[in-house]
This record gives sequence, structure tokens and C-alpha cells, in this order.
Amino acid sequence: MAEIKLEQLSKHYKRGGEVIRALDGVTLDITGAEFVAVVGRSGSGKTTMLDLMGLLLRPTSGRFLIDGVNTGELSDRERAHMRAQKIGFVFQEYNLLASLNVIENVMLPLRYTKGVRDGRQRATELLERVDLTDRVKHRPGELSGGQQQRVAIARSMINRPSLILLDEPTGAVDTETAEQLVALLKRINRQEGVTIIVVTHDLDIAAQAGRVIRLKDGKVIADDAQVPAGAFASS
Amino acid sequence: MEVLRNITRRKLRNSLTILGIVIGVLALTILGSMAENFNALLDGGVKYFSSSIQVGPPDGQSASLLPLSKLDELKKVDGVAAAFPTYGFSAKPGQVGAFTVGVPDTIVAVDPLENNWGNLRVTLAQGRQLVSTTTGEVVLGSTIAKEFGRHIGDRIDLPVRPPDAKPDFVNHTFTVVGILNTTRTAPDTFAYINIADGQTLLRDSLPAAISSAIDVSTITEGIDVYGAAGTSLSDLDRLADRINASVPGVKATKPSDIVNSFKQGGAFFTLITTVAAVVALVIGGLSVVNTMFMAVAERVREIGLKKAVGATTMNVMGEFLLESTLIGIIGGLVGYALGASITFTINALTPPGQATLFLVDLPITVFAIGFAIVLGAAAGVLPAWRAARLDPVTALRNE
Repeated sequence: MAEIKLEQLSKHYKRGGEVIRALDGVTLDITGAEFVAVVGRSGSGKTTMLDLMGLLLRPTSGRFLIDGVNTGELSDRERAHMRAQKIGFVFQEYNLLASLNVIENVMLPLRYTKGVRDGRQRATELLERVDLTDRVKHRPGELSGGQQQRVAIARSMINRPSLILLDEPTGAVDTETAEQLVALLKRINRQEGVTIIVVTHDLDIAAQAGRVIRLKDGKVIADDAQVPAGAFASS
Repeated sequence: MEVLRNITRRKLRNSLTILGIVIGVLALTILGSMAENFNALLDGGVKYFSSSIQVGPPDGQSASLLPLSKLDELKKVDGVAAAFPTYGFSAKPGQVGAFTVGVPDTIVAVDPLENNWGNLRVTLAQGRQLVSTTTGEVVLGSTIAKEFGRHIGDRIDLPVRPPDAKPDFVNHTFTVVGILNTTRTAPDTFAYINIADGQTLLRDSLPAAISSAIDVSTITEGIDVYGAAGTSLSDLDRLADRINASVPGVKATKPSDIVNSFKQGGAFFTLITTVAAVVALVIGGLSVVNTMFMAVAERVREIGLKKAVGATTMNVMGEFLLESTLIGIIGGLVGYALGASITFTINALTPPGQATLFLVDLPITVFAIGFAIVLGAAAGVLPAWRAARLDPVTALRNE
């Protein structure tokens, strides 16, 4: 689980003479193995917040800390290493590499992490957990959308991250598959004690999260704990 | 493995790119090995002429004849350590040979002791050296021995009688007593005889009116002069000046004049061949640049993903550089293999007695393959840099 702090975190862009406040002074504490849903309309700042928490963007101002480390003080190289070791990503479009088979896709992050042993064994175990042991040698193009997303979830867990960030993970699958994916995420949250932050438009997902953060115009307008924080981990 | 898959997933495009490198390396191997062969020949000349002074008749004299008494005069000049008479004759008079890059077959009469001087020293593959007191013996260079199929103990008539020889044509039978190791330069096509036999051939070669009037045992065609071991080229030049100043009736050529002409010839040939090959390679290199830029453009999302899962700028750059370098390696190895095969085949088909055209040695091997690898890597730098600098947020959402 990750200890996450956002302190007056802002990200501004200039477009012509206008300043776009994609994220505007957000302060949050996410502690323990929470399952957090970030919701809001398009342009509310959800994805920007996810990119900032994923260390893919640098903030215009404010601080973002993971496990007490002020990420703003890290070099690009150190941020890359932190992404590799502590953060897993899952995207709406899966982003699997067509040239790699399923297990190779799952093992991809290991390439950028030093000192990991038994990577293949770990990948095999993860594929068992996402119920894809019979698809190990398949290429992404041979899988359904739900299966591809499960591969992406397995990939996000290969380095045993403390935080998994998901950007609209059910946006490209049908309702039944979306429910299966959410169940899988809840299981991971509960069994692995991983902090999960999901950016979504899907209110069904949001309803199942332990905490829902609503954004509007780059600001937090609501931060509701639907069930006590860590409830998934302890249940 | 992934890098190989990346290359094979665009088979046609990458094959054409590799073909560009193959053609460049093929050209570099063929032209470079030709230059190496030519330079080996010239290096022999440089070695030989950088350690001796060629003394001949003064400018304006029609016949290349000197009295042997000049030997003693030359030896008295300060700095002269040794002087030897020399005689040279065409081994195949009257024959128009096919074009070769080597020196024509030549009969050279020398004092066996001369081989102990100078920088170009021949060594025996078989048999023994000449003996100055025994006539009728010959030591053959490796190429001329193959050309005439002669072995130790065989006999050979020299000069070779031309098909349309006049009735008064004279040649002599020599016994092969030694065969030299290959030098890849002039001695390979030389037949060495001793001084007495050289004087006999000189007499045979002179017009009857002259040969009957002179004693050939008192004349030579030229004289090789040596300084003490280790004498520098500039000191030999000064020695040539002293000879010209103090010995009348001779002309000593400065060794540096001859050496420089050899070097200039070699440098010019090398320049032409190298430029031609490098131009071919650079064109191949540009196709690698183009291919890699296209690969980057096609794999923007992949780059974004890799960065998201922890790849550093250097990781991404390294992966693209590895890919372009692998293209260079494949192109280099295939191009070299083809080029070497062609040169070996042409060399093997060269008739005995003709110098081979190519010399594929370690330097040209390292240069051809190494250049392709460096070219592949260099061609990948810009595309790889562009890939590595991509913003992951933009790259991940690239359509």
C-alpha cells in the first residue's frame, strides 16, 4: 500500500494567451490500501491528476509525495525508477505491445527494473490470477478486449507496486466484462493490499470504490468515503 | 528478441534498408580489398626503395650501362656501407601479357648477399639461396613458380622463348634451387639468378656490334647502394647528394623521390576506392535513418507505454539504437560475406602467373564490418533521440 499526499497540487497549461488550470490546488491524503475512484466530467482534471500521480507530468506548483518522498525533487531518471518500482498503470486502450506475446507483455516492466528474480514465475502466477493461463503464448490481437485488459492488469502488478493507477479501465469493454474487471480489481486491492486509484466515467465502478473524489474545473468538489478507508483490505 | 521481431515485422522496408547497407559494404569490401592488394604491392616498393639508393647512368645516357669499377668509387663515399650491381631482364620478352596489377615476370641478377641489406627481405619457402660462384641456378618467386609449374630441381629456360622468336634468339637453362615465400609484391614474379648469369644475359641482350666490343664482366646495368643499418631516409637522400657530387658518370636517385611517388600512387588509389565505397555506404546509412524515423513514428504509443512502466530516456534510446545497430550488423555481415566470396572467387579464377586482384585481410574485414556497425548506430542516433525525448503523456494518447 502507498502513502500518497497531494499538497496544493496544480498543473497549468498555456494555450495562446490563456492559462488552462487543468488541476488547481488539489490537496489529498490517500493512505493505506484504499480503492479510490476519481470522477468528473470531461476536462475536469481527472486524467491530469492521474498523470501527475503517475509521475508522467511535473506539476506547475504544489507537492506530490509517495511514501514520504517529494517526487518534485526527483530527477527524470529517479522518477522513471519510482514508476517502475512503485506504480502500475492500466489504460483504457490496454496498450499491449503487438510484437510481444501475453507473458512477454506482462514481463515488460521487468526490463526496466534491476534485481528482479523469478520474473517469469511471477508473470505466470499473475496470469493464473487473471485466469489467462491458456493464453500465455497468444499475441494481443488474438485476445478479446476483456482478456487484453486482464493482461494489462497483470502487467501493472508484475513489480509488486504499492499503487495502481487505472485510466478508464472499463471504457472499451462491455458491461459484463467491466463487472468482471472491477471484481478482479477489488480482489487485488483486498488480497495484495495495493492502493488502487481509478479514473472513470463509469458510476458503477465509482459505486464500488471505497472513496470517491469528484473533480470540477481542476478542483476537488467532493471527497466521499463510501465505506471506511481500508475496508476492502480488511474485509 | 524483441529487437529482432521489430526488424522482421516490417519485412520489406527493413529488407530494403539492409540491402542498402549490404550494397555499401559489398562495395567497400571489393574496392577496399583491391586497394589493400595494390597497397601491399606498393608497400614492397616503399620498403625496398626506402633502404637503398638506385645508382644508374647519368641523365642523357641512352643505354643503362655502368662500368663495374664505379662500385669501388661508390664504396669510398662517406656513408656508403655496401654496393651491389644489378641486372634486370624481361622473363617473357616480346610477349604482351594480360593486364595485371602486379609486376611483370622479370629476371633479376643479384648478389645473394644483398638480401641481408635493405628492408624488403625475401625468405625461402623451399630449397636454398643462390650461390655466387655457381652458375645456371635460379630461385623463383612464388607466382612465377606457379605460372611455370616449377619445383625444386626442375629446369626452366630463361628468358622464355617467344612464339615468334628470331633464329638468333638465345636463352639458357637454369635449375630451380629455391622457391620464395609469397611477398604480395615484386619478388613474387621475379626469377633470381646470380651476377655471372646476369652478365651472360646482358651480353645476349646487347646488339652484336656492341656485345663483341665490350667485356660484360666489367659492366652493370645499375648499382644498389646501402647505408649502414638503420640509416634514415633523409640521410640516404643526403648520401645520394654526396654520391652525385663526388662520383662522376653516375646518377644517384634520392630514395625519397621514389618512395613518395609510390606513396602518392597508393594514397590516390586508396582515396578513390574508399570514397566510392563510403558514398555507397552513406546512402545505405541514410536509408537506415529514414527507416528508424518511420519506426519511431509508428511506435509512439509503445514508447509512451515503456516510459510509463519505468523506461528511462536512455532505455528508450538504447532500444532504438540497438535496432539500428542490428540493421548495420546484419547488412555488414551479409555485405562482407558476399564481397569476400566474390573476391575469393575472382582470385581463385586468376590464371597462375597473374597477380591476384584482391587482398581480403584483417584490416579490411574489421573496417568493412566495423564501418557498417558504426554507421547503423550513428544512423539511429537522431531517431532514437527523438523517441527518447517523446513526452509520455502525449505518446500514450497518440492515435
